[in-house]
Amino acid sequence: MARSYDVRRLPGFGAIAVLTFILLYLPILVLVVFSFNAGPSQSEWDGFSLQWYVAAFGNQQVQDVSIRSLWLATVAAGIATALAVPAALATTRVSRFPGQTMIYALINQPLMVPEIVTGIALLIVVAWVKVNSGYSGMAYLVLAHTAFCIPFAYLPIRARLETLDPTLETAAADLYANPWQAFRYITLPLLVPGIAAGFMLGFVISLDTVVITEFVKSAGQDTLPTYMLGQLRRVITPEMNAIATLFLALSLLFVTAFFLITRKRG
Amino acid sequence: MSAEIEITGLGKVFGQGAAAFRALSDINLSIGTGEFFTLLGPSGCGKTTLLRVIAGFEAPSMGSLKINGDEVAAKGPNARPVNTVFQNYALFPHMSVAQNIGFGLKMLGKPRAEIDATVAEMLRLVRMEPMAERKPSEISGGQQQRVALARALAPRPRVLLLDEPLSALDLKLRKEMQSELKRLQGETGITFVFVTHDQEEALTMSDRIAVMSAGRILQCGTPHDIYHAPSDRFVADFIGDTNFLTVPVAALDAQGATVTLPGGAQAPARLPEGMRPVTGEEVTAVIRPEQATLAEPGAGDMDGVVETSTFFGTDTHIHLKLADGQGFVLRRQNTADLAAPDPGSTLGIALGAGTLRILKD
Repeated sequence: MARSYDVRRLPGFGAIAVLTFILLYLPILVLVVFSFNAGPSQSEWDGFSLQWYVAAFGNQQVQDVSIRSLWLATVAAGIATALAVPAALATTRVSRFPGQTMIYALINQPLMVPEIVTGIALLIVVAWVKVNSGYSGMAYLVLAHTAFCIPFAYLPIRARLETLDPTLETAAADLYANPWQAFRYITLPLLVPGIAAGFMLGFVISLDTVVITEFVKSAGQDTLPTYMLGQLRRVITPEMNAIATLFLALSLLFVTAFFLITRKRG
Repeated sequence: MSAEIEITGLGKVFGQGAAAFRALSDINLSIGTGEFFTLLGPSGCGKTTLLRVIAGFEAPSMGSLKINGDEVAAKGPNARPVNTVFQNYALFPHMSVAQNIGFGLKMLGKPRAEIDATVAEMLRLVRMEPMAERKPSEISGGQQQRVALARALAPRPRVLLLDEPLSALDLKLRKEMQSELKRLQGETGITFVFVTHDQEEALTMSDRIAVMSAGRILQCGTPHDIYHAPSDRFVADFIGDTNFLTVPVAALDAQGATVTLPGGAQAPARLPEGMRPVTGEEVTAVIRPEQATLAEPGAGDMDGVVETSTFFGTDTHIHLKLADGQGFVLRRQNTADLAAPDPGSTLGIALGAGTLRILKD
């Protein structure tokens, strides 16, 4: 008798699955374990200690770059989300227009262009503007991160809009709502889960990006990832493990929140 | 009866050039204040498009649309004294039942106290008082239907549009809501324009019916007129069951025509206005299955051989074959414990006086 096709019955399925999980999570596990090492080694376990966490929290530079990272991620993800909402509305709530697919592709461009290419392009333009304007503040990083975050904010908002029954907006218009009121009282409240998810995804992406920050930042504008990269060129102590572990925890927190928000659909 | 809705020469074309689709053609309609008016037709006939044009969700391509004397063809849905009950109800999922009902009044900028009073009145009207604070997802389909009605009635529109609102309900609930709708219309005095493809629903609920097909209104009249005096073959076929007989005209007189039935007997038949066939011309004559009765063989207007019969409880549909091979369905009332006729047996068919009617094809 023919058994129904089940991928779990294929030979070697179990072994490949286990190997994949080891490759994915063993290095992270080692990193986390050694962040609690009492000694300064990355390979010899000298007992449990929180000293590297204490050191990391006491490190003024770590504090500075962490605050800068969080600030940058909040501002960039915020602006990106604010721009993504009208973009998502314009690509789902209007009758099809010529060039719509093109616009969709352009919005999602950062997902397709290699990050290093975007980085170099930004480096050239930003350097030129810096020289000519004399301004070298945070605006360059905010703009670069915002552009990079837009598709990540856009996709969950668009996905949410596509599941929203357009008849609801028609019903609002029928009940004397003008277009702004229909948006304010019907579309926007129903869009909140998508907006929250888009913001969180954008936030994590901004927090995480190294390449673009590295190319755009001026002196003294290190973010947490670029700071860590810089430190790694010198001595590696478990302090770096501690910072990485905290960073990981923060990302996990946001990804979990994103998951919970997108799963709970009204 | 003054006209609440006045539609003249209205048409709607979707698309352009070669891809253009004419959804509505030459619609002329006058709907009176307080009338229960039904747009009836098969899916794709344009009835929902016409409703959406009246609501303002679609702009007409040509023609005029007046509501209470005001030309509204160019106005948006939020500027018309018209509210809609949608087929899928379209309740706002993030708002409570009470907030849903109050939405229209809130948009009109009514004061809080007035909104609260009207919402309470509407909840009472549709018997949903205990559910005021529930979300739409927490109430049943029939209750959602009532809330959708209350929400559309709350702003006191001049016209209520209903887009197949009962199609999602099961039979029992549908019957309940039909009488509920009639009651609500009586209590509010608002003009109802009701869209359905269910001819029975249309016949039982409406003051007048417009039968639509292919974007046109074929006939507009009372349920009685539509049923007993269909204007053409489509209407006769769509509303109720009908026997279509092809028969030659035997004679013409001032009142109508006499036709030769299969088997040779002659019978009078009414002629539609403006139709003057010549003697010997083949015409289509119609008669409803319940307008004929059984007789002894040879004693009726024609004889038929029983092919099958189907038992429906209150009546039995007897399918017969006439002398010239045409089929005929007769609906026999089961006034007693009558046995089904034997297939193959010959029975007489007596046509009710004045029931045979000639149709334009």
